Parts: sequence; C-alpha cells; structure tokens
Amino acid sequence: MRSTTERTGMRRAWRFGLTLVVGIAAVAIAGCGSSSSSSSGSVKMVKGGTATILWTAGGIDSLDPGYWYYQTDYSDIEQPTQRTLYSFTDQGTDPVPDMATALPTITDGGMTLTIHIRPNIHYSPPLQNKTVTSADIKYAMERCFLASVGNGYAEAYYSKIVGAPASPMATLPNMAGLQTPNPTTLVIKTSVPVGVLTDANALALPCTVPVPAYYAAKYDKGATSTYGQHEVFTGPYMIQGAGSGTIPSSGFSPTKNMVLVRNPSWVRSTDPLNPAYFNQIVFKGEYDPTVASRETLTGAGMISGDYAAPPTSILQQGLTSSEKSQFHILPSGGNRYISLNTTIPPLNNIDVRKAIFSVIDKNALRLTRGGPTLGTIATHYISPILQGFQQAGGVAGPGYNFDTDPNGNLALAEQYMKMAGYKTGKYTGPALLTIADNTPPASNTALAVQSELATLGFKLNFREVPHATMYSKFCLVPKSKVAICPSLGWGPDFFDAQSMIDPVFNGKNIVPVGNTNTSQANNPTLNAAMDAAEELITPTARAAAWGKIDDEVTAEAYSIPWLWDNEISFASKNVHLTNWKFNGNAPDYTTSYLTKG
Amino acid sequence: MTKYIIRRLLWMIVLLFGVSFVTFIIFYLLPSANPALLRAGHAPTAALIKAIEHQLGLDKPWYVQYLDYMKALVLHFNFGYSYFYNTAVRTMIFNRLPATISLALGAAVIWLVSGIIIGTISAVRPRSRFDRFSMGAALVAISAPPYWLGLVTLFLFSTSVGRFPIFPGAGSYVPLTQNPLHWFTGLILPWLVLAASFAAIYARLLRGNLIEVMSEDYIRTARAKGVPERRVIVRHGIRSAITPLVSAAGVDIGVLLGGVILVESVFSIPGIGNLAYQSILVGDLPMIQGTVLIGAFFIVAMNLIVDIAYAFIDPRVRYS
Repeated sequence: MRSTTERTGMRRAWRFGLTLVVGIAAVAIAGCGSSSSSSSGSVKMVKGGTATILWTAGGIDSLDPGYWYYQTDYSDIEQPTQRTLYSFTDQGTDPVPDMATALPTITDGGMTLTIHIRPNIHYSPPLQNKTVTSADIKYAMERCFLASVGNGYAEAYYSKIVGAPASPMATLPNMAGLQTPNPTTLVIKTSVPVGVLTDANALALPCTVPVPAYYAAKYDKGATSTYGQHEVFTGPYMIQGAGSGTIPSSGFSPTKNMVLVRNPSWVRSTDPLNPAYFNQIVFKGEYDPTVASRETLTGAGMISGDYAAPPTSILQQGLTSSEKSQFHILPSGGNRYISLNTTIPPLNNIDVRKAIFSVIDKNALRLTRGGPTLGTIATHYISPILQGFQQAGGVAGPGYNFDTDPNGNLALAEQYMKMAGYKTGKYTGPALLTIADNTPPASNTALAVQSELATLGFKLNFREVPHATMYSKFCLVPKSKVAICPSLGWGPDFFDAQSMIDPVFNGKNIVPVGNTNTSQANNPTLNAAMDAAEELITPTARAAAWGKIDDEVTAEAYSIPWLWDNEISFASKNVHLTNWKFNGNAPDYTTSYLTKG
Repeated sequence: MTKYIIRRLLWMIVLLFGVSFVTFIIFYLLPSANPALLRAGHAPTAALIKAIEHQLGLDKPWYVQYLDYMKALVLHFNFGYSYFYNTAVRTMIFNRLPATISLALGAAVIWLVSGIIIGTISAVRPRSRFDRFSMGAALVAISAPPYWLGLVTLFLFSTSVGRFPIFPGAGSYVPLTQNPLHWFTGLILPWLVLAASFAAIYARLLRGNLIEVMSEDYIRTARAKGVPERRVIVRHGIRSAITPLVSAAGVDIGVLLGGVILVESVFSIPGIGNLAYQSILVGDLPMIQGTVLIGAFFIVAMNLIVDIAYAFIDPRVRYS
C-alpha cells in the first residue's frame, strides 16, 4: 500500500507497443550478449545496445531490496537486477513463479504454504560461486522486520506468519513460521489464512528478493542497514562495479546516476520473465522534466523516467504530432481522492459529506491535471486494472445519487446540507483546516476544490505545503486535526483490491503517526467485513468481497474518489517500449528493446 | 592585517555555529517533516516509526541531539546521515561541490570580465551607439529569468534538442579531472546563462560609478598632469569605481557557491543547488541542514575575502 506521489503513481505493469506480435515473438527468442537484430514486418528488433533513462525526481530511493516500495524502485532497480519468489509478466495480473518453481502448495486450510525454489541460481560477483537457497529468502523476509531496514509493508502482509514480531525490531527476529527443510524448499506457516500470501501476491514484493545472511548480516547492524551499498544481484543486470563488493559512485550515486550492466551470473534459461535485451541501462539524474521529455522524444535509445506524465506542453504537442505513436497512455491502477476527516464537525455528519461529494466537479478537477488523457473519472476506489473493479460497479460505479453528475450538482448538495441541518443549504460554521500539496498540478486541483466548496458556503483555512510535509506533518497525523486533504492518492501493491481499501478505511489502521486512514473511518461493521475479507483465499471470493466493501465505503462518503490515474510513458522512435502492468504500467526495461528501420 | 584576519576567522566560526543552531532549531525542533518517516518506507506503522526514531536518536532531548550533531561535525566533519538518500550527507555534498564550484566560478569570470569591459566602454563613451545597445541588452538580460533563458538556449543551441546544434546540452557536465575538454564544452551554455544577468547588472553598476568617478577632481588633476587617458581610466577611474562591484561579487559568488538551483536544474548539473532543491522537496532535514551550512560557509568566506581584497584595491582602506 502506498500513497500516490506526484513524481510517479505507484507500481504497475503492462506491455503495449508498436508491434505486439513482434514483442511476443521477441520474448520467445530472447537472448543477450552483443548487438544483433531480428526482424518482423517493417520493424527490426535490435538485441543489445544501451537504453538511457533521464531522472527528474531523484530516481530510486534506496539500494536495499527491503526498502523498495516506490514505482521507480520497482522499474529501475528491482525488476532489472533482482528476482522475487513470484512476479508478474508484463501484461499479467496474476503472480507467476519467478525464483519459485510453481505457485505455493496450500495445505492446512490455507495456513501452510510450501514453496520450492529453482536450484543453481547464482548471485552476482563477488558471490558468484554461491547459489540462492531458501534460507536466503527466510533471512530476506525476517530482515524486513528490522527497524534498520525501514520496510513499509512487512507488518501489513507478513505479521500473521508464526513468530513474526508485533513491531519492527532492533535485532533480527527468528520467525518460526518460516522454515527451510532443505536448501530449495521454503515453508510458510501462518496463524490464520492470509489471502495475499496464498495467492502469492504478497510474495511478489521485494522482501522476497534473496539476501544471504552470511554476507549481509554484518551490514544490517547499526541504526541504518548498509547492505544496499554492498548488494548482490540475482536478476539479468547488476550495478556497474558492484562486483568488488562495494558499489562505486560510478555505478550509483543518489539522484545523479546509475549504470546497470549484465550480471554474469544470470542465466536466461532459469529466468522465464526477463528477456533483458539491452546490454546496458544508463540512468542519468537531475534533469528538468521539460528538457528530459524533449530529449527522450527526439533522441535515440531513450525511455521516459521517474515521472508519471511529461509536462503538459510536451504532452499536448506530442499527442498532436507525429510523436503521438511514441506515447503509451495506460491506467496506472492508482486513484486520487479528497479525504474528509470524519472526526471533525461538520464532517462527522454523513449528509454534509454527501453534500461535498455532490458539489465536487470531478471533470474540473481532472482538467487541472491535464484533462481526460490523465485518467478516468473515478466513481469508487478500486481502479480498473484491479480484481474487484467490476464487482464494485465498473466505470459506472455503485450509482449513488450524490455521485451521478461528474460536473457536480449544487442543487443536490444544498438538499443534503439542509438534511444536515443547514436551513439555507449553505455551511455557516467555522473555517475548516485544509492542507494541500503546494506543487502543480496537485496545487491547482486543491484550489479548484476550494472554489467548489465555497459555492456551498464552506470557508477553508487553506494551507499549501510541500508534498512530504503534507503527509508527514499533517494529513497522516491525526492530532494535526486536518479537516480536508484534497491532494491525496493511493496506489495498489498488486492486483488484489485489499491494498486499495483496507489501509485507507479499516479502523485498525488509525495510528498516531503515518496514519493512512486519513478520514479516520471506523465503522465496526465495515471493519469486520474487511478483516474477514483478508482471510479469504480464493480469488473470486476476494474480488466479490472487496468489490462489495468498496461500494459500502463509497456510500459512507468518507472521501471523494475523483480520478483513476493514467500512466503516460514514452520513448525515442527507435525504442519498442513495453510497460509493466504490475508496476502501474511504468516502462518495463527488461522487455523493451531497440529497433531499426 | 594579520590580527584582523584572525579576528574575522574567529567571528566566522562563531557565525557558523550560530547558523548551525538556527537551522537545527528550524529543522529539528520545528520540523517540516519527520526524519523517521522518511526512513520508514512509504506506509509505515507507528511502531516502525517509533523504532526508527529510537535508533536514530530522534527521541533524545533536543539539546542532546544538537550536541551530538555538533560533536560529529566538529570532531569528524560529519554532517549526519540522509534518511532519504540513505547515505552520508558529507559524501553527497562533497561529490557535488566541484560541479557547483565549476559553474559558479566559471560564470563569475565571464560576468566580471564582460561586465567590466562593457561597463567601462559604456562609461567612457556615454550615449554612443555601443552604450545604448549594450545598456538595452543589459536590461533584456536582467529581465530574462535564468530558467527561461536556459530552456531557450538549450532548444536553440544544444546538440541534443537544439535547432542550431552547436554546444553540448543538458547532462553533458563531466568533472574537470575526468575530461577537461568535455568539462569546458559542457559548461559553456550554463556559464553564459548564469553570467548573463550578472554581467548586465555589473555593467550597469560600473557604468554609473565610472561616469561619476570620471568627473571627480583627482581625475581632472591626473589629466592636467598629462597622464595618458587609458591610464587615467584604468588606474584612477576603474580602481575607484570597481569597489562596489567587488563587494557585490563577493556576496554573489558566495551565494552561488552555495548552489545554483535553476541553472543546475535546467542543465542537469549535479551540484549543491539541485541537491538542496530535491532535499527540500522530500523534507530531507540532514541534507538541507548540510547544504545550508555549506552555503553559509561560502557566503561568510567570500565576504572575508572581499574585505581583505578591499585593502589592496582601495589604498584608502586599511585594517588595523
């Protein structure tokens, strides 16, 4: 579960392209090594070469797999350099085995998972003579509970594993529920059935990137782990110079540069998912978005980087010119919403919340981000590429009367205000503290929200603050007593809808700091429904349950979902760009390739 | 003079302590973002945040944190640890200093040379065509925001996206030690963009000062004594008129050495300004504090250098 950021959406996956047939054929005949080419139709695939990506927002957060959680981490380093127990094909929405040989064998009513991992997968230098074992994956999952690693999701998905600590620890926990009967078998035992483990979704997250304890333990001691600076790799690429045991600044320097070269230990035949066409992937940092976008579109061998969409001027020009075919506009899986704090009057009154829902002009809000290209107007929370979307009503949504007009309905809003006790249909109380992101386009959206609420008589104590401050000091901190957060967004961890709903609306997630339940929704009936849905282990039952819960939380108007985001990626003319749906349809650097002709 | 310099150096240390304290108060006691949250991933639990706060010592009293910070800074030259970049602040800053120094000093040379030449010619030939043209151009240069000017020059003259591909574009900076030629060519456009408005300001400033100085009695005396006009202008006129420029240059260069955010951003130069900007966006307090301290150091140091230079430029100024 992650909050959507302005620099990118969240995680995604998909493939799309100039020639889908060529792409599929290419996967089958994948290879690596020096440049060579094969042709299909008028476009020739060029195997090898260098892909260049320009960072505009700082690039990856960390080198440590235990820390990775952002879309950029997944696309730029996780997918090219590491392998997880399970992963997703570029277009797939169900986990498939990656390091594992098959999906988990489930016994004991869903409380025991047995996973076999591929033998003879070697680490990159300097551990090229060491093979990956189940003990390495056990250590990797356990270290995600170390405070020094700073993982953001282990407690949410792995806390029901027997022996998992209740909170992060200073020392490594020994989780009895992670058992390694032999070097290629991992057994996971949970205290209750955990749907996101049995369907392997939560086993596709980077906590399952193998980390050898005999090598990494010494780096995991101290206030912050330094394993990332000495990381070993299992994927098709590694950071240049990492073979020495310490990553040099020429291989990676935060925000400035990262150079990925082929991992000599990687064997294509053991990796069903990553054809890895490029010989080298170069990331250059600290670019201005306008310059980076222009260079990518007019240059050669370049792919868009850590920004969810190019600047509006570049996009408008591109979509109305011959550059149009270089853009891929695909749903990201994330949403954007206006959060209403249900503990603060008058927002504790459901009719007031419905009035606000009614008056919001979602079309106008979308225009502040660039119009229909940037996404689909949302009618509920689960986004179109997730399981449970259709069950929640699809694009039309559940059809509540306060959400029938995407342009807003002032008359209906005033009716709801009257039902809430405001005789004139206008709000007459004190100003409401509203904290917004101060960076466009989110700041423009917030201003539009302010003016729309003014038509209902709402006076706002409106403050714009930096993105990080908005989250860490205000919207995620209940004691800040923020009434309205108009600049929020949320993205899924995988295609299971739990990660879109539970963190944002389950009362158990209300905490003093880092509170993702910003509306402080705490409905016992809904909480119980969510807790029960977490334990369902069949995908159809999960989709139905989370779809129903989505409709029910929408009915409570805890917040106003207004956009299902699109991811807009693009590349130079000589690049066959593919996208990774699992990662919010961000570019997929292991299945994209250069073209000729 | 030596005593004066020692005294100023001591004051410089006191001032930097003051700056460090103020930035500590602003960023640690009144933080815009919780450092533990940055370290804790993206949907952290309260328990994780508490555990990290404890590990990082953020739950200690503020004065203990400040003393720890200053002890590390003074004894080990350790600026702390960036929770966002997961690396030492010192490493990040010192990796980037060469780029910022290259950019700031190179631009300073251009704007000082061009500003002095243009300002001098305009002053000795007031209302000439050159004067009218150069002062008009100076107004344009002052009015053009560096960010806009940077984009225009890139889209006109850069080899990557330019209409007339002449100079290397964004991202072409390489360290001087790596390739001096590429270092030089990669910085031509950024130098020109950064120097443009400063050169214009300095030219106008010098022109005004020099016109005033050239009407002073001692200039007339020098001319009456038969001193050649060139010598009158250079030795007597400019030497007197340039002192405000030296003062301004000290402050300007000091500020630029602390980071040139817009130009570094447009031309993708990995300098201090870009680092500070990115750190502010994500609320990376240790990194912000490090860049503020470095910026303060350069401003104070350049002011000291200017004060010392004054004594040499203007014989009337002596420190005792």
